[in-house]
Amino acid sequence: MALSFQEPEGCTMIWKFVHSIQQSLVALSRQDDALSDDIDPFQNPITLPPPSLGNLQEVEAQLRGLTNTQNGRDAVTKFVLTDGYIQKLIPLVEMAEDMEDLPSLHRLCNIMKNLILLNDTAIIEYAVTDEIVLGVVGALEYDPDFPSHKANHRHWLGKEGRYKEVVRIDDEQVRKKIHHTYRLQYLKDVVLARILDDPTFSVLNSLIFFNQVDIVQHLQMNSAFLKDLFGIFSPQEKDEERKKEAVLFIQQCCAVAKNLQQPARQQLYNNFLGHGLLSVINYALRHNDVAVRVGATDVLVSMIDHDPQMVRQTIFRQIGEKQAPLTDSLIDLLLVEADLGVKAQIADAIKVLLDPGMNNAPLESLSKTGGDFASRLRPQMDPQQAEFLKKFYDDSAKKLFKPLVDLKDREDMEFTVHQVSLFIYLIEILCFFIRQHPYPSKYFVLSEKLAQRISQLLGSPEKYLKLTALKFFRNIVGLQDEFYNQTMMQDHLFEPILNIVIETMPRDNLLNSACLEFFDFIKQQNIKVLIKHLVDNYRDKMKEITYVNTFSSFISKYDQTNGFTSSAESFQDTEEDTPKRPGTAKGGRWASGIKDLDPTEEEYYNTSDDDDEASSKTTSRNGASPASKPLVDYSSDEENEDGDNDSPPNGNTSESSPVVDTENERALTPTLSTLPSPPERLSEKRRREEDEEDELGKLSHHKRRNSTGGPSPNNVLRRKKSFNNGANGGPGNNGKHNKIAISLSSAIKTSADNKGGDGGS
Amino acid sequence: MSDLDKAIAQLRACRTIPEAQVRELCHKARELLIEEGNVVTVTAPVTICGDIHGQFHDLMELFRVGGDVPDTNYLFMGDFVDRGFYSLESFLLLLCLKVRYPDRMTLIRGNHESRQITTVYGFYDECLRKYGSANVWRYCCEVFDYLALGAIVLGASSSLQPSRQPKTQSDSGSTQEYIDPDIEIEVLNAEGGYINSFPRTRSNNAAQSSPKGSPPTKTGPPGSGASGWSTGTPGNPGGAVLCVHGGLSPLIDTVDKIRLLDRKQEVPHEGAMCDLLWSDPDEIDGWGLSPRGAGFLFGSDIVKVFNHANDLSLIARAHQLVMEGFKEMFDNTIVTVWSAPNYCYRCGNVAAILELGEDGSGEGIMSRSNGDVGRSDGGVMKEKERVLLSGPARRYRVFQAAPQDSRGMPAKQPVADYFL
Repeated sequence: MALSFQEPEGCTMIWKFVHSIQQSLVALSRQDDALSDDIDPFQNPITLPPPSLGNLQEVEAQLRGLTNTQNGRDAVTKFVLTDGYIQKLIPLVEMAEDMEDLPSLHRLCNIMKNLILLNDTAIIEYAVTDEIVLGVVGALEYDPDFPSHKANHRHWLGKEGRYKEVVRIDDEQVRKKIHHTYRLQYLKDVVLARILDDPTFSVLNSLIFFNQVDIVQHLQMNSAFLKDLFGIFSPQEKDEERKKEAVLFIQQCCAVAKNLQQPARQQLYNNFLGHGLLSVINYALRHNDVAVRVGATDVLVSMIDHDPQMVRQTIFRQIGEKQAPLTDSLIDLLLVEADLGVKAQIADAIKVLLDPGMNNAPLESLSKTGGDFASRLRPQMDPQQAEFLKKFYDDSAKKLFKPLVDLKDREDMEFTVHQVSLFIYLIEILCFFIRQHPYPSKYFVLSEKLAQRISQLLGSPEKYLKLTALKFFRNIVGLQDEFYNQTMMQDHLFEPILNIVIETMPRDNLLNSACLEFFDFIKQQNIKVLIKHLVDNYRDKMKEITYVNTFSSFISKYDQTNGFTSSAESFQDTEEDTPKRPGTAKGGRWASGIKDLDPTEEEYYNTSDDDDEASSKTTSRNGASPASKPLVDYSSDEENEDGDNDSPPNGNTSESSPVVDTENERALTPTLSTLPSPPERLSEKRRREEDEEDELGKLSHHKRRNSTGGPSPNNVLRRKKSFNNGANGGPGNNGKHNKIAISLSSAIKTSADNKGGDGGS
Repeated sequence: MSDLDKAIAQLRACRTIPEAQVRELCHKARELLIEEGNVVTVTAPVTICGDIHGQFHDLMELFRVGGDVPDTNYLFMGDFVDRGFYSLESFLLLLCLKVRYPDRMTLIRGNHESRQITTVYGFYDECLRKYGSANVWRYCCEVFDYLALGAIVLGASSSLQPSRQPKTQSDSGSTQEYIDPDIEIEVLNAEGGYINSFPRTRSNNAAQSSPKGSPPTKTGPPGSGASGWSTGTPGNPGGAVLCVHGGLSPLIDTVDKIRLLDRKQEVPHEGAMCDLLWSDPDEIDGWGLSPRGAGFLFGSDIVKVFNHANDLSLIARAHQLVMEGFKEMFDNTIVTVWSAPNYCYRCGNVAAILELGEDGSGEGIMSRSNGDVGRSDGGVMKEKERVLLSGPARRYRVFQAAPQDSRGMPAKQPVADYFL
């Protein structure tokens, strides 16, 4: 606690007061001790009577009295250690057992418990040494709280063969430490599980932790040991069982390594990699024993978690050496793997390896320079990464998503359990890609017609497969991307979703809710293109759906504006025209090189020429005008409402005139617009952008979590939305409800660790 | 005896079932849960339970006190796992019972039914130890994603009925003979013995003007937000009871809004779904930041407005340890029910379950469709009516931790082999 005082006198006064109270308290506690125990811990070193079966009651009482005060505890600790008191207690256990003297056994248990709960590292370390550990846990087998039970700790710990020594560890000390650590864990998890208080729990944990650090440090520095360990995987070794154990050993090392400090961990992985960890993983991933495969994926995932860039470098090297890259092996495995656990981990590993956001360390420094939003929002990939991605989409992705592509011309949607789960993983990976690398994945999805294929899965009888497929469409609608929207409209992909609503309509179930959420999102975001499309094509169907007002609001919105063609919305016309001329749209847009192209996007479509790429990058960096910021107002519904400026398209060249994305165009020419106060708006947006960047920076190390969980945070548009809503007056602002998108994005809360403060439950 | 019944018997003995069986169970549960709405409709009589947190033996005690499934209709408000040492057995048993008796068992999601939380607070670890791989944990987490977010209890009686006769005829159970119709709250001990009761206060028509609300153009079943005024519908003057794990959300002003969530996902860090699972009531005005880092704090004004707008007489929630097992707040508009006695094996609290009786008249049960927007023009606004609905009659059974001797010593499963 910290107090501050205005005047020195006040401080002195309080201090004197506190001091006097302290004095009297100390005096009181001395009296107390003296009265209850006849021992004054401050004058004489205390002693406990030498234990015998006869005086256990006395020992127990004294001990309990002493442990009530901190001073007493210190004194007892000192005494117990110097006197070897625990050792004196141990023979009594067997004596009491021989005499079937249960009360004494219960007392011994209590005494032992109290000694351990003194919470002294020296005592606890001593308690798990070879000489006395069985005696200690033996005493703890007779818990008076469970008079009719006897635990079998001695049996468990005494059993030979729990310790597997794959490679002989020469250092006696380290071997001992390994055993001690195991016993400490047993104490923590089993023997004391019910009675541990927080301080003792943390003491046990830290003892375990430091032991593990020592052990792992020793092993990884010991190159003779590592050579033997990885030698097991050489062709000479015939013992398959030994290989399996070696994999599991490495798995445990990596699990322990998660707790190490970054440099130590780095060193460990470097040493492992140097000795051939990757080939071990390759071997183990193809092992026919599931446990080994799980081990291998565990090792791989922990390595990726530690430093994805390190693993990517290896992959780049493999590509350079014309070897099959690790990602391809993972894809092969994912497609055939039957074990759910391995499959889930492989899917995770693929996601992380292909997540360009993982290596955006320079992001923070970049954001300080200010200016070029575009490059900050989509951090430039390093060329190697870009090349890797390109290669991935040219080649590996086709293999990965082949099962989906093969759905073409397939009529029946009856699948085996294995197929269904594979589809679910593939769609989840695809959703992740769509968010993480929007441009290459967009091209891929469109050219392979994946949306159409996934739409077929909506007809599957398996509801959870339907749900996953629906999630895919929710993802792409969430992007509010013109091309995805067009695809959805052209191929009538909304129809099956609407049909699900109608099929499930009388029922209130998960599938129904998910569909409603899908359409409600369109309503909330007021995506006019889609609303128009829906009303144009499905007016009658939607009229049937009356139990929520989403659909009737589509129709009324449409009717009020004559299909968004009323004069007030005239600028929308061009936008509405776009879908009808997709050919021109694409051609015009790409050819004209309108500024609203995001540099990353541009870069992707120009990758054939290295010079080009470099130059486009530099221009985008230099062209730091706010105008080059992409997608600024794209999703903002209030702008759609009040904006009726038909500002002439001014930045584009001849061929592209009708197809300019008007929204972006307006962002480009703020001065021409008739918005209330555009310049302020722009600057305000800039500021927000900056704030967001900080958030983003903070978030970047939580990415991994997100990749496994629900929808990703990396949708820039949506993040901006939720941010804006926050700025609009926060959660308490009831009036704003309809504006607050029910954001599914999972990452905005800065730290998941906050939830550690989950006090009550 | 079917496989399922065998599994139930095995789990009741606190023994785990094989991984393949868990997988099958989870698949079956998923089929069932996918058909449930985000807000499940439950009709009284029902026994509402709070957090369990893997305290298997106390769960068995709960069934002893509250009656066994399927004799008693149960509603569990989440947090089945973490902290206790038998999360797996507890959750799987509840899930088995759900699959075996779908209509007698309702499970809704708590904030601990999440991947992220279970990796920190013990469930993940427990699965890893008991099965040697995380697969069972993955199956369970998959099921978590399908759990409903809340429940609405309809047709709860406004007067207490004689309680189920306890097995051991205790002579202190004098309340069983005659029930005063004016008793609103009755508290019984584990053996059905009388502890306390509270009469209904009739004079709460105090001039609480209705909040500036929408005109009452709706009539419909209570709790749907489609009914016009706060007296509920004829025949169910009590209004409905909303059950959620945590509490309210600023993004949710009507129960029907909950239906518009796509719940099949990991519990997000923010948004309506997160709030429903994480928020807490608190003695504040309006909304406040939650010290938990997720969800919000909400005051009595929020609860009263919400209950009024949705024709609710009571919100039942869990999520917070209360030493007495249950705690009613804000003029009895919200109650916290806690069902993990001696929480974490050391908190020394008692637990409670909440019984809502069946409305004998039979009129109270009106099936809730999803509402039919704009179907009514009725609901004539009467005089200034009170905002607070009179709650249903509530019987709390308070119980303590299972006797130490009836269970083994609680402990985690030790790690079998070790290399390091």
